[in-house]
Amino acid sequence: MIIHRTLTIQNERGLHTRPAALIAKTLSTTSSNVTFTHKALKVDAKQILNLLLLQAPQSSEISVSIEGVDAPEVLDKLTQIFESRFGES
Amino acid sequence: MVFVQEFFDKYQKQLDLELIAGHKGLSKREIKVPEVHRGGIALTGYLKHYNEKRFLVFGKVEIEYLKSLDPQTRTKRILALIKKSTPAIILTRRYPPLEELLKICNEKNLPLFKVKLSTMDFLNQITLVLTDEFAPITSKHGTFVEVFDIGVLIEGDSSIGKSETALGLIERGHRLISDDLVRIKKVSHNSLEGRGVELTRHHMEIRGIGIINVANLYGAFCVRDKKRINLVVKLEVWDENNFYDRVGTEDATCEILGVEVPYSVLPVKPGRDVVLLIEAIALNYRLKRMGFHSAKDFKTRLSQKIALNQRKKMASL
Repeated sequence: MIIHRTLTIQNERGLHTRPAALIAKTLSTTSSNVTFTHKALKVDAKQILNLLLLQAPQSSEISVSIEGVDAPEVLDKLTQIFESRFGES
Repeated sequence: MVFVQEFFDKYQKQLDLELIAGHKGLSKREIKVPEVHRGGIALTGYLKHYNEKRFLVFGKVEIEYLKSLDPQTRTKRILALIKKSTPAIILTRRYPPLEELLKICNEKNLPLFKVKLSTMDFLNQITLVLTDEFAPITSKHGTFVEVFDIGVLIEGDSSIGKSETALGLIERGHRLISDDLVRIKKVSHNSLEGRGVELTRHHMEIRGIGIINVANLYGAFCVRDKKRINLVVKLEVWDENNFYDRVGTEDATCEILGVEVPYSVLPVKPGRDVVLLIEAIALNYRLKRMGFHSAKDFKTRLSQKIALNQRKKMASL
């Protein structure tokens, strides 16, 4: 199963190290392949350094693509942490 | 607590101590505090806040002052300083002992020592010796190695591969201080010193080989007796459910004898070269000590880039 969705970075400081670590941690338990695409750069969302390469500031739109059996659950989890502004302001 | 006898036996040569009176007191008097006191003002009869548990050191000023007193007052003043808990009196600069002092020390069984050093030099030396002697001590299971001049204490459950890791490090030119059991001494408020236990020092037990002597096998260059503990690395079996530190901007520490020591957890699994990783941890620590924090530096550069992108984005709207 493949799911595509667009999620928006809502926190003030953008996709810096702490959110990247949080995303990688959230995805560490899934077997699905998750990729983030931002400004023509497509990266593996399980790798912190890859996520940081996106250098995405606040209100950037990230195209998320999840491929695997638990894709819906993974999307739910990702949406939740994006919505919660990664626990920041 | 140490008896004056033990102190005398151990440091006689180092401090150049010569016992001139009060022999019987050696095995009776105890050293209860690692402190010394110059007679000074207490000899004038001012005894408020005077702590009789400290070593008494008489230098030029004290001796000359005592000489200036009449014999009766002299005896009285000396006696006022001496209590049951006073460990010993030490005369510096080879001053010939005053008769009254000799008599009192013999009567009271209070060891009286003479040293060649100047008062200042002696005070420095004895302070170092006493601080070391009274330093808090603990023991820890682990392997202690020196990697690029950084003291790394490797902890972890038995059979995780601590000794094998140390062997790998030695083979690459690093040094072993102790394997299996490390004696740790708090040498100052913020530093710890680790050393091996006399019998097993520089020996290692490797499963499948047995006990080996690293100094004999790899040469004297590969061992050292003691070293400051700079880092603690804990080896543990890779846990799929645990999320290990992947950024490294937060510096974790662990506490040993009240001293905070930088601490890393290193998950081990086949294919991970632990020797190489410990070298990297030690080098990273050196860089941090030189004021360059790789992870924090990266984070700053990233934040600047994100802010720049944000500004560009705002401008294009």
